[in-house]
Amino acid sequence: MEIKETLDCKGLSCPMPMMKLAKAMKGLNSGDVLEMLGTDPGTKSDMPNWCAKTGNELLESVDLDGGVTRMLIKKA
Amino acid sequence: MSNSSKDNNVLVQLFRTFFGKHWPVWVGGIVLGTLNILLFAIKSPWGASGGINNWGENFFSSIGLFNLTEVVPVNMNLYGMLCLLIVIGSFAGALFSKEFALRIPPKGELIKGLLGGALMAIGATVGIGCTIGSFFSGVPALSGGAIVFTVGLFIGVIIALKYLIWEMEKFPKWSSGKSYTFLAAKPEKSKWQIVLGVIVVISVGIMAYIYSGTNLTMAWFIIIGGLMGLISQRSRFCIVKAFRDPFMSGESHGAVGVMAGLLVSLVGFTAIKMFGIGAGEVGLRAREMTWIFPHFWVKGAVGGLIFGLGMTIAGGCAVGTLWRVGEGQIKLWMSAIGFLLVSPISKLFIVPAFDSILPQSMKFKSFLPDYVGYGGAFLIVILIILVWYVFVKWNEKTGKFSAF
Repeated sequence: MEIKETLDCKGLSCPMPMMKLAKAMKGLNSGDVLEMLGTDPGTKSDMPNWCAKTGNELLESVDLDGGVTRMLIKKA
Repeated sequence: MSNSSKDNNVLVQLFRTFFGKHWPVWVGGIVLGTLNILLFAIKSPWGASGGINNWGENFFSSIGLFNLTEVVPVNMNLYGMLCLLIVIGSFAGALFSKEFALRIPPKGELIKGLLGGALMAIGATVGIGCTIGSFFSGVPALSGGAIVFTVGLFIGVIIALKYLIWEMEKFPKWSSGKSYTFLAAKPEKSKWQIVLGVIVVISVGIMAYIYSGTNLTMAWFIIIGGLMGLISQRSRFCIVKAFRDPFMSGESHGAVGVMAGLLVSLVGFTAIKMFGIGAGEVGLRAREMTWIFPHFWVKGAVGGLIFGLGMTIAGGCAVGTLWRVGEGQIKLWMSAIGFLLVSPISKLFIVPAFDSILPQSMKFKSFLPDYVGYGGAFLIVILIILVWYVFVKWNEKTGKFSAF
C-alpha cells in the first residue's frame, strides 16, 4: 500500500489534529492513503465519527511506543 | 496465567468496560448531569471558574501581590477543591486507560493555550460564570442570564473558529514544529500507570475520609469532584467541542452529550427549586435564586462572547481545561495558568471598570419562573434544547454551517 502523505500531529490537542486532517485530505485524490501520527487520545474517538460522516475509510489504528497512535485513512 | 483466562475474569472485563475505550459523550453527559443534581442537593450546583479564581487568589496572596485579604485557602474552599479533584480524577482515569502522558506541543500552541486561558478568565469574571456555572448549571437553574451568556458563547466560538482556520491556512508554522511526549505507557506490557491509578484513587478516598469528620460537605465535594474528572476524561466531555464541532466538522456527538446532561439537570434542579429542597435556614427564595447571577443581559452576553473566544483558542473550556491538565496535555496546563493568573487581576481591575459603565438594567438577576412560572420556564429550556438538537442533526446531514 502506498502512503501518499504523512501528517505529523504529535503534541497537538483537540481540535488541531482533526482540522489539519480535514485540510490535508482536501489535497488528496480518491483512493489515496494518508498516514497520521498523533498523541491526542481524543483523535481515537473523533476519527471513526469523522470517517462515518465523510465516507473516508479508517484502514488502521495502531498504538506505538512513546504514546503515538498511527492511523491510516483512505480517501473516499 | 494466559491472556485468554485473564479475559474470562469478570473483574478484568468490568475494568475494560470502563477503561478499554472511550465512553459515548451522552453517557458522560447524563452521569455528570446527575452528579450536578447531587452537588446542588448537598450545597450548590457545579461551577469551575470560581474554583480556578480561588487558586489564582491563593497564588497572588502567597507572593504578597495585590493586597488580597480574606483569601480562603484552597483546601478550605469547596469549589477550589472541586476543581483540584477534577484534575486528580481525570489523572486517575487517564492512568487506568493508559492515556496519560506529558504532551508538549509546538511553541505556538503553548502561547495559544496561555492566551485562551487569559481570555476565559476575563470572560468568566466579567460575565459571572463559565461554561459550567453559567451554562451547564445556569441553564437548568432556569437563569435568563445563563441563556444570554450561552448566546455570547456561541458567537465567540464561531469567531474564534474562523480565526483558527485562517491561522492554519496562513501561518501553518504556528501549530507545527518540535513536540515532545514523556511518560507514555507502552501499549501492551506496561502496568505502572494502572498501579499509580489505584494509588491515586485510594488517596482520594483517604482525603475524603479525613474531611468527613469535620466537613462532611467537603468530603462529598471531594468524591463527586474525583468522579466528575474521571467521567469527563473517559467520555471526553467537552463543552467547546459541543459548540464548535457543528461549525467545524459538522459532527453532533459532543453537542448531543451536553444536551443529555442539561436535560437531566433541568429535571433535578427544577424539583430542588420548586420544593426548596435543602433550603434550611437560607429560605425558599434564596434557594430558588441559587446560581441566578446579576448578569442579564449585556454583562452575560459580553462575558460569554469573551469566554467563547478564549475556550476555542485554548481548545478546552474551564472543565475541559481541568481534565486535560490531568491527562497531561501541556497546552491546557498553559491555559489553566493563564486562567488562574488573569482571573484575580480581571476581578480587581477590569470588572469594576466594566460594571461602572453598565446601567443596572443591563446587569440584573433574571429568574425565568418569575416571568412565566416554573412550567413556562421549564418548557422554554426544553424548547431551546430541542431547537439546538434539530439544528445540529440537520447541519450534520447537510453540512450547511460546517467549515469542512
